[in-house]
Amino acid sequence: MTLTIDSIRDCFDGAIPGLIATCSADGVPNVSYVSEVHYMDSEHLALTFQFFSKTRENVLANPFVTVMLLQPHTAAKFRIALRYLRTETEGPLFERMKAKLAGIASHSGMSGVFVLRGADVYRVLSLERVPGRTLPPPPSPINMLSALRLCTQGLAHAADLDQLIDETLSSLQRHCDIRHAMLLMYDEPGKRLYTVASRGYEVSGVGSEIAMGDGVIGVCARERTPIRLTHTTSDYVYGRAIRESAAQAGFADRLETEIPFPGLAAPGSELAVPLTLGSRLLGVLFVESAEEMRFGYDDEDLLVALAGQLSMAIHILQSSPDVHEEKAAPPKRVPAAGPAIPIRYYPADSSVFIGENYLIKGVAGAIFWKLVRDYEREGRTEFSNRELRLDPSIRLPDIADNLEARLILLTRRLAERSNELGIEKTGRGRFRLRVAGAVKPVEIAGSVR
Amino acid sequence: MSQSPQAEPILDATHVAFMTTGVSINVAARDAHNIPTLTRALGCRVSPDRRTVTLFVAVPDAARLLDNLRINGAIAAVFSQPSTHHTIQLKGADARVVERQPDDPVVFENFIVTLAADLAHYGWVESYVRAMLGHDDDNIVAVAFTPYAAFNQTPGPAAGAPLATLSKP
Repeated sequence: MTLTIDSIRDCFDGAIPGLIATCSADGVPNVSYVSEVHYMDSEHLALTFQFFSKTRENVLANPFVTVMLLQPHTAAKFRIALRYLRTETEGPLFERMKAKLAGIASHSGMSGVFVLRGADVYRVLSLERVPGRTLPPPPSPINMLSALRLCTQGLAHAADLDQLIDETLSSLQRHCDIRHAMLLMYDEPGKRLYTVASRGYEVSGVGSEIAMGDGVIGVCARERTPIRLTHTTSDYVYGRAIRESAAQAGFADRLETEIPFPGLAAPGSELAVPLTLGSRLLGVLFVESAEEMRFGYDDEDLLVALAGQLSMAIHILQSSPDVHEEKAAPPKRVPAAGPAIPIRYYPADSSVFIGENYLIKGVAGAIFWKLVRDYEREGRTEFSNRELRLDPSIRLPDIADNLEARLILLTRRLAERSNELGIEKTGRGRFRLRVAGAVKPVEIAGSVR
Repeated sequence: MSQSPQAEPILDATHVAFMTTGVSINVAARDAHNIPTLTRALGCRVSPDRRTVTLFVAVPDAARLLDNLRINGAIAAVFSQPSTHHTIQLKGADARVVERQPDDPVVFENFIVTLAADLAHYGWVESYVRAMLGHDDDNIVAVAFTPYAAFNQTPGPAAGAPLATLSKP
């Protein structure tokens, strides 16, 4: 079997630094370590450009180099002849390598020393296996292709967005042994991502938000590219700089910080994959593990393929028309037992409190307020997605309103935060507000709470 | 390009100690078209006068490197201690194959054991290091050269500077 770059991708995971030999124009060879050799495709690799070194000088004068890599687990060595093509200093490739390098630097005690100046792109000229002893490779615990097949089969049976999201996260657990995962949707006007579901955390974190560009998830969203850390680093820990980056972007007051972000306290590996339709961002699928080196190129491929299916399924569900139905007659108001539930609404940021408990803000808060007001005024408990879309008080964005995602968010927050109030689906595009008694809604105008 | 016999050797005792214990060694040469090649070395000796460095490489792994050295003698060797990232690079212009010595296997074994001990810092097991460096003794070739330049290559602001005395760890 011919040896290919694709068959040795585990050499490019940054577990063991590679070596690069270069030669100056006047024939003096040089050897240097290279922190990260990044697989681009079967014919291209990218190397980190970190220092203005002899290597750099040589590469610019003489583009032919040789790289040697060691395979984790087997100790097999590979020599690759490369030709330098160009340096990228921004964009998806740069950001992916920058994130990975930050993890490698943190792991090897080189934080602050290893800084990516550029991603040097090389064409592969030849690949050879260096003769020598090796260890047997460990058995692969999961067949990625069959895992992907099972995951995508699950998606096909989801009837609505709620089921689709749950099925995705359950599939990852069941078929891929990925035990910590979350799905975030993109709020385009707000330039942020909000968590709609998670698995494997003490608290779900549903409703928590991440600013674009913040941490692994934010960079993945901004660049529309997968970001994978084989070793994690505080540089990319989500939430650490939420306040700072939000303040820079000028919406610190609007970013959800009441709801703590879920996530492992000490993750070893992280992988964020964008959900996209063409250039349009729908959200981010994020997985993590306490184990280092948990996610490799194959895991990334699986998640990217799954994210493609998921994005298409979300698009199809969002494109299906709402059911047009006559308004049902209002049911008899249930006599209130006990004191009315106080509900406070702050229109400045559409935040809602049930009693003293913070529920949600933003679009989901505005939706909840409409439901509660209609219930109080008319005794209505049956609602349709369509009427929410048409209601000017909710101020949904015209395009890609993500109403279903907001309703899932609201439903889940209510389930977590309130015994007296809830939302139940009653059909496609229809749902019921469940209220245990009377409500006492109070709108508090003026400044933010 | 070689040093004159009167000049002080580039390497001092601290460098010699560093180069022969618990480091990873990699060697580059280049062909007539300045295309570089690269091989991992299996150990190092330094002559008592510290003017000659001998590195061990294995065939057929090092076949191209040896071909290049026979043609032009240009060599670069990098010595790096994984746990500290301390790295030095030597350049030579007179590299040639030299005779093996009877106690070379002791050098190889010491090299493997001390490097494995250092790599244990990252959780590497000795069996992995033995696979990485293991070769039949009959296939191991000695290459000697006179370093004419030496550089500090530890990642950081001082990388690329001429070699100074190494501080004891």
